[in-house]
Parts: sequence; C-alpha cells; structure tokens
Amino acid sequence: MSESRRRGTASEFTHLHVASSYSLRFGTATPAALVARAAELGMPALALTDRDGLYGAFKHVQACAEAGIKPILGADLALRLPQARARVTLLAEGRQGWASLCRLVTAAHAAAAGGASPAVTAEQIAQHSAGLIVLLGPASDVGQAVAARRSDLARRALDRWLGLGCEAVIEVVDHLDAPGSTHRAARMAELAAQRGTGAVLANAVRYLEPADSVVAQVLDAARHLVPLGSPAVTAREPADALGGARDGGAHARNSRAFLADAPTMAAIATRIATALGDTALGDTALGGTARALLRQTAELASRLCLDPVRDLGIGRHHMPEATGGRRAGSSRAMAQEATRELRIRCESARPPRRPGLSGRRAARTARDRMEHELVIITATGTASYFLTVADIADRIRARGIRCAIRGSGAGSYVNHLLGISAINPVEHGLLMERFLSPIRTTLPDIDLDVESARRLEAYQVIFDAYGEERTACVSMMETYRARSAIRDVAAAMSLPPDEIGRIAKAFPHIRARHITSALRELPELKASNLATPQLATVFSIAEKLDGLPRHVAMHPCGILLSDATLRDRTAMQRSAEGFALSHLDKDDAEIAGVIKLDVLGVRMQSAMAYTITEIARTEGDESAPDLDAIPRDDAPTYAMISQAKTLGCFQIESPGQRELVRKLAPASVDDLIVDISLFRPGPVSSDMISPFLRTRHGLQAPSFPHERLRAALAETGGVVVYHEQVLRILDEMTGCGLDEADLVRRHLSTEHGPRRTEPWFRAAARRRGYDRRVIDRVWEVLAAFGGFGFCKAHAAAFAIPVYQSAWLKRHHPAAFYAGVLTHDPGMYPKRVIVADARLSGIPVLPLDVNTSGDGWKVQEDLPPTLPADSPCAPLLPDSRPARLAVSPSSPPAGAPSAAAVPQLGVRVSLREVKGISDAEVERIVAGQPYASLRDFWERARVSRPIAERLVLTGAFDSLYPAPGPASSSAPQPALELTPEPAPGAVPRPSANPAPGFGFLSAPVPDPVLPPAPAPPTRRDLLARVGVLDRAASRASGRASAGSAGSSGAGEEAPQLFDGAVTDDWLAGLVPPGQLRDLDPAERVAAELDILGFDVSRHVLEFYGALLAGLDVVRSTGLARCRPGETVLVAGVKVATQTPAVRSGQRIIFATLDDAVGLVDLAFFESVQERCAARLFGSWLLLVRGKVRRSGAGTGGAPGSALVRPDAAPVAVTVNGAECWDIPALEEVRVSQGMPAVRAAMTAGDTGVAPGLTGGQGSPGPPAQPMIYGTGFALSPWAEAGGPGAALKHAPRNFWHASPGSSGQTGTADE
Amino acid sequence: MSRVYREPAEVQAREDGRPARFVWRGRLYTVRSILEHWAVNREWWRETDPAPGGASPREIAAQPELAQPELAQPELAQPELAQPELEYWRVEASAGRGFPPGTYELCHDVAADAWTLRRVVD
Repeated sequence: MSESRRRGTASEFTHLHVASSYSLRFGTATPAALVARAAELGMPALALTDRDGLYGAFKHVQACAEAGIKPILGADLALRLPQARARVTLLAEGRQGWASLCRLVTAAHAAAAGGASPAVTAEQIAQHSAGLIVLLGPASDVGQAVAARRSDLARRALDRWLGLGCEAVIEVVDHLDAPGSTHRAARMAELAAQRGTGAVLANAVRYLEPADSVVAQVLDAARHLVPLGSPAVTAREPADALGGARDGGAHARNSRAFLADAPTMAAIATRIATALGDTALGDTALGGTARALLRQTAELASRLCLDPVRDLGIGRHHMPEATGGRRAGSSRAMAQEATRELRIRCESARPPRRPGLSGRRAARTARDRMEHELVIITATGTASYFLTVADIADRIRARGIRCAIRGSGAGSYVNHLLGISAINPVEHGLLMERFLSPIRTTLPDIDLDVESARRLEAYQVIFDAYGEERTACVSMMETYRARSAIRDVAAAMSLPPDEIGRIAKAFPHIRARHITSALRELPELKASNLATPQLATVFSIAEKLDGLPRHVAMHPCGILLSDATLRDRTAMQRSAEGFALSHLDKDDAEIAGVIKLDVLGVRMQSAMAYTITEIARTEGDESAPDLDAIPRDDAPTYAMISQAKTLGCFQIESPGQRELVRKLAPASVDDLIVDISLFRPGPVSSDMISPFLRTRHGLQAPSFPHERLRAALAETGGVVVYHEQVLRILDEMTGCGLDEADLVRRHLSTEHGPRRTEPWFRAAARRRGYDRRVIDRVWEVLAAFGGFGFCKAHAAAFAIPVYQSAWLKRHHPAAFYAGVLTHDPGMYPKRVIVADARLSGIPVLPLDVNTSGDGWKVQEDLPPTLPADSPCAPLLPDSRPARLAVSPSSPPAGAPSAAAVPQLGVRVSLREVKGISDAEVERIVAGQPYASLRDFWERARVSRPIAERLVLTGAFDSLYPAPGPASSSAPQPALELTPEPAPGAVPRPSANPAPGFGFLSAPVPDPVLPPAPAPPTRRDLLARVGVLDRAASRASGRASAGSAGSSGAGEEAPQLFDGAVTDDWLAGLVPPGQLRDLDPAERVAAELDILGFDVSRHVLEFYGALLAGLDVVRSTGLARCRPGETVLVAGVKVATQTPAVRSGQRIIFATLDDAVGLVDLAFFESVQERCAARLFGSWLLLVRGKVRRSGAGTGGAPGSALVRPDAAPVAVTVNGAECWDIPALEEVRVSQGMPAVRAAMTAGDTGVAPGLTGGQGSPGPPAQPMIYGTGFALSPWAEAGGPGAALKHAPRNFWHASPGSSGQTGTADE
Repeated sequence: MSRVYREPAEVQAREDGRPARFVWRGRLYTVRSILEHWAVNREWWRETDPAPGGASPREIAAQPELAQPELAQPELAQPELAQPELEYWRVEASAGRGFPPGTYELCHDVAADAWTLRRVVD
C-alpha cells in the first residue's frame, strides 16, 4: 500500500507526543509496551518524545523494528522563558534532526547544573533547529496564552518562534480535564489556521490504558513529594507565562492521556471541529477542519519516520579513530594500520614464562595460537579495539592502579600478549572462540577490574586520553522495586512516615510485582499482618510501579568509547561524579554500535593494594611482593584454603564456598578455577558437584562417554563443567568448528534451543560415527547443561585474585586483615573479619587517637595493650565437643601463619567512628601525637559528638594510662563489684558476671591495689569534653559574638582559649575518678554503637550464664558431634542468604559468629513457618538443630547418607529447627531463672515477631518454584534476601532496645 | 448564581456517554444541548471500602471471620480503580414543553455507573 493512500484515512493515526516510563516518574508504560499497542491498533508509526531525555530512544527503535512499525523520535523539554517556564516538544527529522536533538538535550542538561532541572531557551532551540520540528502544545508559551484567552500574546509568541527560524507546528490536545478544554483546543487550531502554520492532533500520551492514570497520579505526587490530591501538585509545576497553573497535562487529573486508537482520535478531532464551528468560523469548516487536522498529523508523521541504519547509525561499529592521540585517515587505512600495529605488539611481547610449560613445544603452540587469533581479529575488524583496551590498561597501570581482566576476554592469547590479561589461556585450555569469532555479530567485551577506591581515577585516565567528545559513562536506570514502590505509594497516600518505613522494610529485596505473592508465600511476611484491606490499594499500585525507572545513575562500570561523532548519536548529561554520562544504557550501546568497556571497581583489588602498601610501610619497600609475579603453586596457601580458613579472601569466603573448598581441597590455580565454576546454579542444578568430587578423590574412576571426548573432559574427570568443554564436545562430535559451536551453545541456553538443536546434533554426530548410546548420553548432558555452565575463562580471571588474596592472608596476615578491614570487600560484617584476625593470632588493637590512622594499620602489639582478659585470649579447647561450661583452654588452631609474625596486630581505623568526616580524620592524623585531651581538642578540632565517641571507645586511654601493672583498659575494680544501672542500657545482660559464670571468666581484680593516682575515667573525660566545648563556644562567642553551637570544629581559631584553659585547670574542674568508669557491658555497648563491632569483648560473653545453663555447643566443637545429633548453638547473626538451590526450595542459610568461630545454619521450608520472622528479626540467636556433615563422599545434598566419612575433609552445618532471641531469653532468666527459660523455649513465644504467637499465620500454599527447561527448579524467592536492613552493620540501637518489644519487623534499623 | 444539590438522578445516556434525559425529584428533563464536558478522577486514595460485595474494614474489625483471605488480595480492589473517572456534563435541559430551559450539571461515576445532579445554574 502506498504512503499516500494510507495517509489521512480515518482508521489510521500516528501519535507524535508520547512519554514512556523513561520520562522519569511521569510515564507509566515501557517503550516496548507502547509500540506493541500501537502495532496492535494498526498504527503505521509511533513517536517517543520522553521528557528531558533520550534514555528510551534506542529501546523504542528496537521495539518498532520488532513490531514492524516506523520509529519517530523526539523529546519533551522544559523551555526557559524570561519570566516563566513552559514545555515544548522537539521532533527529529532524518540524521541531521537526530544529531540536533542529541545536542539540544545535552544542552538542556548542561544548563541544569546545581540540581536545577534541565531546560533550554528558545535561542538554544533555534541554534540547533536544523532537522528539528518544534511542536507547540498546550504547555508551550503559545498554548498558555491561548488558554488565558490572550490571542494577542499567543500570536506574538508564535511569531517569535517563526522569527527564530524554527519550523513550528501547533499541537492540538483535548484531554477534557476542565470545563472549556475543547474550546481551548479549538482556539489552538484556529490560531494555526490564522497564521498559516501547520497544526497536528496529539493526545500527549503518558500511559497505555485509562486505568493507568491512577499510577500517573501517584508518580506526579512522588515527583513533587506531596500527597495525592494536594493542590501543591499543580502549584509546583513551573508557573506558566501568565500566572496560570496549567502545564499541559503535567499532572494527571483524569484518565484521557492514554494511547488512544484512531477512531477515538478521529472523534476528538470532530469534537474540536464542532467547537470551532461554534466559536468562530461558522458552518463552513465543519468536518473539513477535523479532516485537515488528521491529514496534517499523518503527513508530518510520515516525514519524521527515521531509518535506523541511515539516520541512527545502527548496525555499524563506531570505533575510536585514534588510540590515545594517534590519528589515521580513511577507515580502511585505519583498520589496516591497526592490524599491523597489533601484530607488531604481539610479536614483540615476551610473556613471562611460568614453570610447567616445556620449551619449544610450548613456543610453537603459542605461536600457532597467536596467528589463529590474529586471523579472527583481522576478520572481525576489531584490531583497533584490542589496541585501545591495551592502551587503557597500560595507562591505568602507569598510574599505579591495580588492573586485572575479567570475563571471557581472558580466553584470548592476544590479550595476554598485550598485557591486558595475566592469564595465559594456552596454559589453562581457554578458547578464543568463546570470546570472539568471525560469525559473531556483536562486539566483544573486554572487562577490566580496578581498585574500587580508585575507580574514578581510572575513569579520568580514560577521559584524559580520549577526550570527552569520544568518551562517556554508560547510564543505567534505578527502577522501582518492592520497597521503593511501597514507600512512594504509601507516601502519596499520606500514610505516617514511620508506618511507611515499617511496611517497606518488612519486605525482602524483591521486585515490586511480587509484593502480593510474597505476602501470601513468605513465612516472615505472613506473620507480619500486612495483608489488610487497608493496605491492599497501596500494594496494588506499588505492584504497578514495578520496574519503572525512577532515577538515572552512572553504570557501575560501563564506559563508552567512540569516534568524535559520539555526541551526535547520544545525548549527554553530567553525572553526580562529574563525568559525561550518556543517555545510552549498556544494551543501547551495543545496538548503537559503540564500544563499551567495563571498568569495574573491585574492593578486593583495593584491599590487596592497601595490603601491599602496609607491608611496604612496616617491612620496607623491598619486602612488598609483586602480586602478579608470585609463584602460583605455593603449598602453604593451598593448605590454608583447603582448611577453609578463607574468611576475607576473594570469592571463597561464603559458607557454601567454605564447605566446597574443604571438600575439594584445591592445590593449583586450575583447581581454583574448578571450584569457582562449580559454585554456580548450573553445576548445582545438573548435579555435577558430587560426581566431580568422587572422581577427584579417587572414590570413582573417571568415565567418558566416548574415548574421543577424553581430551575435552579429562581435566574434570568426565564431568562437564565449562562452556569451553561444551564447545569442544560439540566440535568433536559434529565437526562444526569451535566458532559455530559457541553459537550452538548460546542457542542451547534459550527456551526452545535444546529442542531445536537436537535433530541437528544427532544427525551430525551419527555422520561422524558415534553410536546412538553415546549420542543419547552426551545429549542428555548438553541439554541439562543449558546456559548454566560457566565460562572457564571467566573463572580463570576470578581465580587469580582468589589466589592472590589467599596468598596474602597466608604470608602477610596482619597487613591482609588491615587491607580487608579498610576496604571491606567481602560479604560479612567487619566483626567476622575482626574475630577471624583474633582467632588467627592477630590481635585487634583498640582505637587510639595517637596511633589510629585513616585506614586500619599494622602495628606492633605492645604487651600492655593486650591484657589477660582480652577476648583474644584462649577460650575453649577444641579437643572434644566444646560445651560452654568448659572453661580454661588452649588457643584454637588455625592461625594462618601466626607464628611468622606473632608480634603484629591491626589498629582500628578512625574511619570506623560513626559520623566522623573526612576532614576530621585528616586533621586528627595530621596533628598526631597528642599530649592530652585538651591538646587534641585544640588541634584536631573535631565536633563534640565525635570527641565524645572517641572517648567512649577508649581512644584516649593510652594518654591516661593506669599506674601499676593493670592495663589501661582493665575495668575499674571497685566499680566492677558494685555496678550501677547504666541509663539507657536496658537489657544489661549480666553485666556483673554471676558466680559460676564459666563461659569466660572475667578478670578477678586484685582487691588490694597499691594506692596510686588513678587516671581519669572515660566518664571523667566525657565531662571534660563538655567543659572544653563550653569554654570553646564562650571563646568563639567573644570572638565572633554569635556563632555558638556544639561544634568544636572551628574553621581557623588558632588559639581558642587564650591560654586560660590548661590541662591542670581541666583536671581541677573534673578530677580523675569523679565519675565511675564504663563497665565492660557499657564498653561493648559503646563499641557496638560507635564502631559497629565489639573490640574489648565478644558480646556473647554477657550471656554466659544463660548459654552455659543451656549446654550450648560452640563452633569448634561441632565437627566432633555425631551426624544427626540435636544441638543448641548460639551467636551473633552475621549473614543470611537465600541462594538458588537444586530442589527449588527456598532455603535460608544463616551464619552465626560465636566468638570462637562461625556456625553455618540451614533452615528448610518446613521450619520457616515458625522460624523465619525471628531469624530475620533477631541479631543474637539461639538455634536448635541437627548436625549435618558433608564431605567428598557425600552428595552434598542435605540429609544424604555419608559414604565414607574418613575419606575426605568434612564440612559441618546445622539444620536449624527452632530459634530464639537471646536477649529475650536472658530477660526471662534474670527475672525468673533458668527453668522459666526452658519453659519459654518450649512455648516458643519468646523473641521478635509478636504476631507470630501460636503460629497464627495459617500456612498458605508453598511458593511455586520456577522450573527451568533443564529441569532445574528455582524458588522465586531465592536471592531475594531477607527483610530489614543489611547485615553489614550491627543494629545501632541493639543495646537500647527492650528485648521483648524490639520485635517490630524493622528492628534492624539503618 | 448556582445551587449545589449533589442528589442522585436517573439518567438515560446515549451510546457515547452524552446524557439525553434525566429524572430528578420526580420530574423528567430533556437535554437540549451539551454546554460543557470534562472529566476528573475520583479521589480514589481516600476510599477505604473494599470492592463491592466485600465487607468493609469496619465490619471486619467487628467480626474478624468476615476477613476472608481473598479480601487481602489487591486484585479485587483493582476493578474499582479501572474506571477512576467522574464525568461532568453541563447541559441545557427543560422539563418539557412550556418549561423554560435551565442549565444543569450532571456527574457520572463511571465505576459505579451512578449519576448525580451536582448543581443547577440559575
């Protein structure tokens, strides 16, 4: 059908003004949904004109291509007028129009510096008017004048647009949102007719269906931070030129801004024409006006349809034309030049040879491999890409930033030769084809890991080298999820703020659309009483916000590199970090043909860099190891890993990984690669782990489906683990070649892939002489493998930092702990690392204003700072099942290498103090050492709360040491015997250890200390801070008469006190011993509150009597318990996970820190009904469960029988059955005694989640697992985590909450 | 001047929603012409009643057994929000031959299909 015949028929209409969900907090439908609906309605084309951005443009184009309709692109931008604001819509015509649009949107954002919203001036539009059509709708200056019945102003405004040289078209919209709406629309059409300007009909679409207007209303409220129905929603929109309140449908009053079909739009046109007939032109224009409006709309639309290839540059690669300043001529000459240069660099590279590869043969293999890869690179035309990445990696390393490769790029030998990758793929059997092949159409991804703390510095290196015209960060959308959606909807509906927080935090981190099913299915939510009719509307609308973008952010790693035309192909804005941020996200970049480089900040790289710095600082530069050169076969390192002493190490510290490394006992980098690859949903789903472990430990001979597959499968004993093996099997059995094999592998991971691939595979394999039995067997494995297997190159890239971190932990433990504690790379809260350090013989030294630094520091541990009562002291024997009642003991085994550097400890960093600022840390460190509190106050100039927190955590104890043998941190004897109730510390769990307190005997102070001048207590020092602060504010009050306040952090104030305030004066005002010191419980409370972890004692010690009375087993004793034995364990909850597991159940894995180690727990669905709420709600837990042992001989599946318990290392887990809140039980014990505790435990009614009493929540249907094509069932709630705040920090209010009532669903407050 | 009534009215509407006749206070009016037409969403966020046919929150509070599990599922609340508009029609109508035409404002709650006579303009 020809264009002209389609045009203007009443059955067709093209929407030219459409906002998708990429109009943030405005549109409610995705571009794909809008396009699908338009196609369904038979529309020939559809425009996307999002507000303030082009974020959805490429998604729109992609969706149009799939739906077979034509894309039109534009943007709805705020217009800055001399006295007011308005909005206009710009539409792009052709390639020039798209470039103008990109540049104009960039200009709008450039003007939005300092938090203002993006806007353009009419002059800016005129400047970029080439190829742009300005659509003047109801929100434009013209439309506002028309609404105000000021036809004179409207004419003048329109003339101004025409005078600026813009192609202006009037946009007629009639939403019927107020009396007179249709007449206003008619006057717009009339104005266009009078001035001879074009006029089009539009519906200013912002949702699919009328019913979605409810969501639009909520978004309007959320955007303006006002409740629904608030008049402020209108008032806060930019006031228009004439003081009215309209902004062209910017706030939804009714349900008319939907994607209306052609008949509806024709009806609107007729309605407007009728009104026009009534008002002005008499009967002559009736019908004709409606037709003219629709015809002009169709004509403009067909003019504006974009060609994705010609106009948007889709389908071509836009490589940087220069690598770091070097320029070349034509693109072909450039490609040849790049290929030549790549060859030269590869040939001149001398990769460091590692032991194990024998001379000449290896050299020939390497040479062949290089030639093979260069052929592929030449064929794909990606030589300049490799050179660019190599250049970037070099530049980053030249700045002293650690940089490592990640992902499938490790499979390329060229990457290794160029120095991008530390892994030699030939050595580890990695394949280039998994990374890049001539038959792949997409650009390869080379991903780089850099130090997280210096990631932005690495970005700057790239921007500096390539210039901002070629470089930009990739953007990404933060979208609504369950918690954020509930927050915004509930706020719009005027629920009280704390109620909103309570409801939102009750949900785990799940998608918003799963709110209702989560309420039905998750045990901890069933108990929460949230499923009420009152909240039903909140949840229902919150579900509709699912996935809507709410905020543009910088992608954590993506960087775009292109030629100098990048800014003609994407709009840019400034990221919060100051970088150019493209409106392309990572998928768009691929479509747009722009190179994307992933430069990911990895905390472990920072931790390792810090570790090296600490080694150099304490032992001298020559002792600092070169991590990339250390031998990768260090036996002590592998021994440590095999004992699962891997806390703090990269990737292998989780409970599941600790269990796996224990079973697997890795002894080489290849073993680490296997380990990483096995710890994935895929291997778990196809049950690869147990057969692998059986053959590895010689319990079973390796078996191969066919002798010709031995080469591919030998490395894993016949089990398929890697993508690379699938490629080799496919290649061997079908002869398809490795590149084709990779396509087949990708296809296998799709939904219908296996079914479609099977006939081809069987036929090809039969032709190659395989019999049916072999084909059946191999096919079964391949089909089950699906897309789940792991890319070996990826695992290899991970294995290097795994090994490096383990090596550092084994050989430089103190520096390693300092690095890990400073950069916090792992999954656990710091208390776990702190405990691990202590148990490894590295004492953790308390905060000290004179020695604590910006990061954690390695320091010699001088004897006085480690008193006998330190928790580092031995706790329990590990010679037999340790019961809490057993007291004195030998040190726990397993210090990584405590003997090597026994005298070193790690000093807590100043940064751990809650609320401390960068400037304060800087000033404190610069002013060290300090002679007294007054000296510190005067020179470090920290705020009063920070000074108080430093005092409370004992940071001044070393300035005021206790005389005599007793250490500074030893408790005050007299106070220890008669403790006073501390205000605030409600639970006060056995602050005064009861007789028979066998858990850990508190120091028994010598009652007859020699009379010596006592030092000031921490409370004395606290009082002195108050005195100093008042003196300071008096002084500054005298100086500047006014700027009082509680801050001592004055800007200059060189001499605060004019010499009036001296140490003696201070000591006179608050003499030492005036106030009693903090008792041990108060110290720990202060540490938890201020640092987030306990330093002076383990918090569990305060419950010694309770735990001893219950005969609790410690982690060190678990290994000796019988399998299946029911035990009680206790500890601080340090992790909860709900990972994907084979059975499709949602299993909650939890880890407890019990002062001597970690206890790993698993809670199956059968017990979650009664456990989940308390498990997620409590911080200190007592758990009853059954001991489960698993090792190489077991299937790893819970409950499976042990085959040979002595054959291989064994891991122990406790399958939890019941759990209780320890502070709650302690309260019972203190008030009613131990028998009452046991009764309460039986009754099960102690602890958090009061709604849970008696199992009120009726057991609903269990969650339906999602079944994958491979038969792998996955709980829909796997990976969703738990409710409440992240576990990385102790709940700050822990000691101040009453244990009985702290059970609100949001106990763990942020 | 206008008087506000907000009284239920029985309205006969055309297929496109335009009112044709209505009965108010026992008298039949014939619509002569439509003067204005506009629409505004209901203040649905203030509405606490569950879907028609279910028990109200107040009733549930008094008799917990009324709280069937289905009530907790928002799906039931949705049909109500599917038609959130109140359509307003300002019409010229008269109560029959011989009666002078007056200006009346009718409101149609689309979800409930209920009409009200909002006001009469003198």
